[in-house]
Parts: sequence; structure tokens; C-alpha cells
Amino acid sequence: MRRAGYVAGVTDTRHEYDALAGLYVPIGAAVVLLVALLVVAFAWRYRARPADDGARRPSRVHSAPRTEGLWVLVLACVAALLLWRTYTVEGRTDHAASGRGLRVLVTASKWHWRFDYPRLRIVQRGTDDTPPTLVVPARRTIDFTLRSLDVIHAFWIPDRRFKRDATPGFVSSFSLVFPRTGFWRYGGECSEYCGLRHTWMKFHVDVLSPAAFARWTRTRQGGAA
Amino acid sequence: MTAVGAAGVRPRPRRGLLGTLASTDHKALGAGLFTTAFAFFLAAGVLALLMRFELARPRLQLMTLHGYDELFTLHGSTMFYLFATPIALASGVYLVPLQIGAARLRWARLALAGWWMVIAGGLIMWMGFLTAQGAADVGWYSYWPLSDMPSSPGIGTDYWIVGVLLAASAAILIAACVLATIVTLRAPGMTMLRLPVFTWTMVVTCLMVLTAFPALVVAMGLLLAQRQLGGVFSGAAGAFDYQHLFWFFGHPVVYVVFFPFVGAIAEAIAIFSGRRWFGYRPFVLSLLLFAALSMSVWGHHMFTTSAVENRYFSLTSTALLVPAGIEYFDALATMWRGRIRFATPLLFALGFLVLFVIGGTTGIFVGSPPLDYHVTDSYFIVAHFHYTLFGGSVMGLFAAVYLWWPKVTGTLLSERLGRWHFWLTMVGMNVTFFPLFFLGWEGMPRRVADYPKASGWETLNALSSAGSAVLLLSLLVFVLNVVRSLRRRVPAGPDPWGGQTLEWATSSPPPPENFPKPLPPVRSFAPLQDLREAAS
Repeated sequence: MRRAGYVAGVTDTRHEYDALAGLYVPIGAAVVLLVALLVVAFAWRYRARPADDGARRPSRVHSAPRTEGLWVLVLACVAALLLWRTYTVEGRTDHAASGRGLRVLVTASKWHWRFDYPRLRIVQRGTDDTPPTLVVPARRTIDFTLRSLDVIHAFWIPDRRFKRDATPGFVSSFSLVFPRTGFWRYGGECSEYCGLRHTWMKFHVDVLSPAAFARWTRTRQGGAA
Repeated sequence: MTAVGAAGVRPRPRRGLLGTLASTDHKALGAGLFTTAFAFFLAAGVLALLMRFELARPRLQLMTLHGYDELFTLHGSTMFYLFATPIALASGVYLVPLQIGAARLRWARLALAGWWMVIAGGLIMWMGFLTAQGAADVGWYSYWPLSDMPSSPGIGTDYWIVGVLLAASAAILIAACVLATIVTLRAPGMTMLRLPVFTWTMVVTCLMVLTAFPALVVAMGLLLAQRQLGGVFSGAAGAFDYQHLFWFFGHPVVYVVFFPFVGAIAEAIAIFSGRRWFGYRPFVLSLLLFAALSMSVWGHHMFTTSAVENRYFSLTSTALLVPAGIEYFDALATMWRGRIRFATPLLFALGFLVLFVIGGTTGIFVGSPPLDYHVTDSYFIVAHFHYTLFGGSVMGLFAAVYLWWPKVTGTLLSERLGRWHFWLTMVGMNVTFFPLFFLGWEGMPRRVADYPKASGWETLNALSSAGSAVLLLSLLVFVLNVVRSLRRRVPAGPDPWGGQTLEWATSSPPPPENFPKPLPPVRSFAPLQDLREAAS
């Protein structure tokens, strides 16, 4: 049985992100609106009027320990709710590489991306003017291994709502799934400032159906030989 | 020193620029440091305008990629090290002795050295623009190994490090002076729990400077040694160690440049609501809790490194909403059943409340690792922290300027120009920074000079750039107001607003010895309000 948001046993990071943001954003928006509303309402309701000089004295109540204590309790409950949801989702998105998916080695260096498919013996490279394309099959676990050859870069696919730093001397592993087929022009980016051409350190993302991916694999292997 | 000598003869203070630069009177020193910092604010603002001009349309129009890198590095560095931190401390240098009924600042010569170091550090940092390879281009956080010689050989980066070292050391010196003043020079009757609200925010600010800034001094010293000699940082551990050192300073600093202005808006809200600040003790506790937590949240800048315990830092970061919630409660409760007068300082204080809560709630949002994985290092973060630093700190700074200008200069600012300044800032601020939330969410990374034409980001970028022009206009109105006030010199009198704390009990500007006449009795944190309430 397939759970919602799960494809091939690995969580769909975008689905998880949207669900968690779906909790945070409404609460945040409500807080902002409430504050704005209270500021405007109090400013209007308690504004000084020439007529009330002397007649109306500002309140001399300067503390309300019980109300404020209750308010702290409410705040703590909100924090606890947010943390509980965050921990649950983080447990899923930080799922270690399953080891059974398609392995892709990502190498970042100034200012290029390189994608190695070790089992398929395919390498995707770009040039200074044309970024490389990350080609992946849809609905299959992709086990990424990320490293950098020089400075810190970061691997970001906004459509997947996911990013990881590539730190030189450190290998980082994570798994992603791509549920929909399609081509994302500049769908991948370096998001950690890495020097001169950081601005243009991007890659395309091409998600193929499993059959199309198999065809692409054969063509690349034939063409590369 | 302007303090009365043993023989009761006060040496005549020297006049002119040299006199100001050598004065240990905390008012001259505070005003001088404040003016220096504000000049750096305008300079860094010009850099921001150039960046927004470049980003208004795709492709490069105005500058090279390298030029853009220098701009965002110097913009962020100038704003944090040369503007925000010094101006926060300058407010304390000027106001704290007056608020606690002291005649002077403790160790004033140390603070004076701090002012010189800020000036020297700023000039050295900006001198990078004159070198062949340009100014530093490594970001205000200067991550290793990008900031090492092989990637950034320019001497502009070394100038930058020396500049930051000077400014950071200056902050430590000045914070020590302000804290020592509060601890040792309080007027009779002024216990720690009768300190005015602004002075309490300076206590926690100084505590954070003294605990966090040494980490920055160490980071900069090690980075300079690594660049010149090598052998300090190596491998992934070196990269992570540098980040830990930097962010151990780098998160508390955002509260250092924020709390004094929380204090300022608290004073403004209390004065213009005609009642004292609500919930003084829980407020003081919340400040201390905030400062303590601020030392334990730095790892949330490293969620995507895979090298920190994300859940721990998510816990401490999310917990910040509790003390922040207390402060909002107290602000609104102070307005509740008050008698509210809409003077310019209050407008900026209310603007602060509305804008900062946007920065605060989005801060809780990015305190959640799975959400941060998407938006970190994107324009979402740029929007978030500009709502805290511009919507919060800068709005609070202007509340402070409009509130205390009559005290410092003895003259009034125009209320009409003040209202124009406020509304232009509100419009410009939101038009500039709100679109950036969407740009980041849609995938625009930070620190890029260009973006693909097909990205669909043109409209929002153009809108943001248009907003920055409105912000420029708002600042021009402010400058006009200042110049006009200094020329017309409409006398303000000692207490134009109905102030509640001791600085309003002396003349404007205060004489060198601050309080020539006996102080009113201090029986609470709002001694002048006590007198007023007893009389009515």
C-alpha cells in the first residue's frame, strides 16, 4: 500500500514541505494580522481627543501576572505544536539513502556541476556556457552522494523543496524522488555563494518516464562508447 | 575629562572637530559615534541601491559579476559592523548615563578609543575599493575556504578582516563601558529593578556583545593567520569550525542591533500612551531569557551542512517565540486604556510592531529544518531578515531619533516632515522587501547579480527595485527634516513629550555635568511619571 506523499518508499520532499508550511504559514499570517489589527484598534480606540482632557485618565494598571502567565502558556503550546510537527517531518526528509535506488554522484566545483551514474557508466557535464542536465527516472528513489572539490557550494532543486551543502572534504548523502515527468530549465542551482560565477552555476533537471529513461541510458551508453 | 576637578575648577572643553574627536563627555562621544555610524548607514544604503538597480532587470547592465560581489559584501559588512552595532552602542553611550542619573560614562577614554577604532576600521575596510583587485568579495560572513588565498587573493579581503577586527574590538570596549556605567554609577535609589526600560535593553545588549563578539575577534584573527601563514583551518572540519565560530557571534549580533531599539519603542509607546510600560518584571525576565537563548541558536544557520544537531537548534530557535510574545503582550497592554498621542516617534514605534512581527514569524518558519532546507540562502531569507533589521531595528532607530532629537539638540523636528518620512518608509519598505519572500520561495538564490530571463522573476524584481527608490526618497525627507531643524532651531525645552525617565528632568541639550540641579526621587523605573501621577 502506498502512503500519500511516499513514492518508492522514500518521502516526497515537496509534499512534506507543503504540508508543514501549511501549518506554519496560516499560524504566522494569523499572528501578523492579529498584531496589526490590535495595534490599529488600540491606537484608534484609545486616541487622545481634545475633549477628554482631564475627564479621561490613562489606566494605572501596570501588570497582570495571571493573564500574562496564561499567555506564556499559550505561547509554549504553540511552540510545542510547531516543534512536534517539525520533528515528525524532519525524521522523514532526513531519511538516509536507501541504498537500493539509482545512485547519482554529484560533484560541485567552481563553477560547474557534474553528475556521475556509476552503475550506468554515464557522466553528465556542462560547459562554461551550457549547464549540464540532471536526468532522472520518475517515481524511483534517487540516492545522491554530494561532494565538492574546492569551496562550499549548495545543491538546490527548488521544485523538490530541498537543498544540501557541498562542503569540501565531506560527503553528504540523501535520497529524493521526482514524481512528475518534465523538463525544468535551470531547475537546479548553487545556493551557497562560491565566488565569481556563482550567479551562473546552475543545471537543468529532466525527469523522464522509466521507459524513456531506459532509452536515454542506452543512447548515452552507445554514444559515449 | 569634563568632570569637576579636585579644586572644583572644570577645564574648558576644547571646541571644533579636534575637540569633539578628543572629548570624553559621553554626550559628545555618543553623538559622534552615532553620526559616524549613520554615515556608514547611508554609504551601505547606496550600495544596496546599486544592487537593486542591477537586479531590476535580467542580465548585467551596470557592473561586472565581481563588482556585484564587492557590493553585497560591503553592504552587509558595513550595515552590521560599522552601522548597526556602533549605532546601537552609541545610543547607550549617550542615553544610559542620563537615564540612570549619572554625570559621566565609566572608562570614557576606552569608549573614545572604540569610536576611533570604528572610524579606522571602516576606512580600512572601504579602502579595498581603491586596490587593484577591489574590495572584499567574500560575503559579510566570509566562509572558509572561499575566503582563503587561493580563492580570494585580493588584499581587499585582508583590509576587510582588519576592519572587522577593529570594529568588533571597538564594540567590546564600548559595551564594557556602558555595562560598567550601569553597574557602578546609578543614582541613589535606582536599583537594578528600577532601571528604565531602555537601559535594561542596553544591559542585555552589552552582555551579548561581551559574550559573542570575542568569537568574531577570534574568527577574524584565525582567518587572517590562515591567509597569511596557513595551517589554521583544513578540510571539512576547518570549514565547519569556521562556521561555528562565526555564527556563535553571528546570531547574537542580530539581537545586539535589535534590543536597544526595542527599548526605544518601549519608551515611545509608554510616553505617547500616557502610561508607564506594562509588565516591567516579566519584560526584564523575557529580555534575559532572550539573551540567554540567543547564545544557543547559532546552529540554525547550518541546518543544511549535515554537521549540526538540527533538532536541538530548532528547539532553541522556536523557543524564542515565547520571550518575543511577552514583549508584544507588554507593548499592546501599554497602549490598552492609554491616552494615545500620534507624534512621529510613536508612528515609527507602531510601524516597528507591525513590520517586525513579519520578520519574527518568518524567523520561526526558517527555524524549522525541513522548511529551511528549501528557503535558506534564497531571497526568502533576504526578505525575512530585512523585516527584522529594517522593519525592526531601523524603524526603532527612527523612533529613537525622533524621540530623543529634542533632548540631544535642544531643537524640534518637523512633525509634518516626520509623518511624510514615516509613511514613505512604510510604503518603500514593504514594496522593496515583501516581493522577495515570493522570489525566494520560487527559487531565486541569494548573492546573484543576474537571473534567467525565462524564470518569471522580472516583475517582482522590478517591483522591489522601485520600492528601494521610495526608500531613498524617505531618507531624503529625513535628511531635509534634520537640516531644517538645525537651521531653524525651534527650542524644545527640557521635556517636550511628557517623558518618564531622568533624562527629561534636565535641560536640552544637557549641560556637561548632566544634572546641575538635585535629581527627582527615584522610586520606580519611571520617576517622572511617578511625580505626574502623584500630582493628578
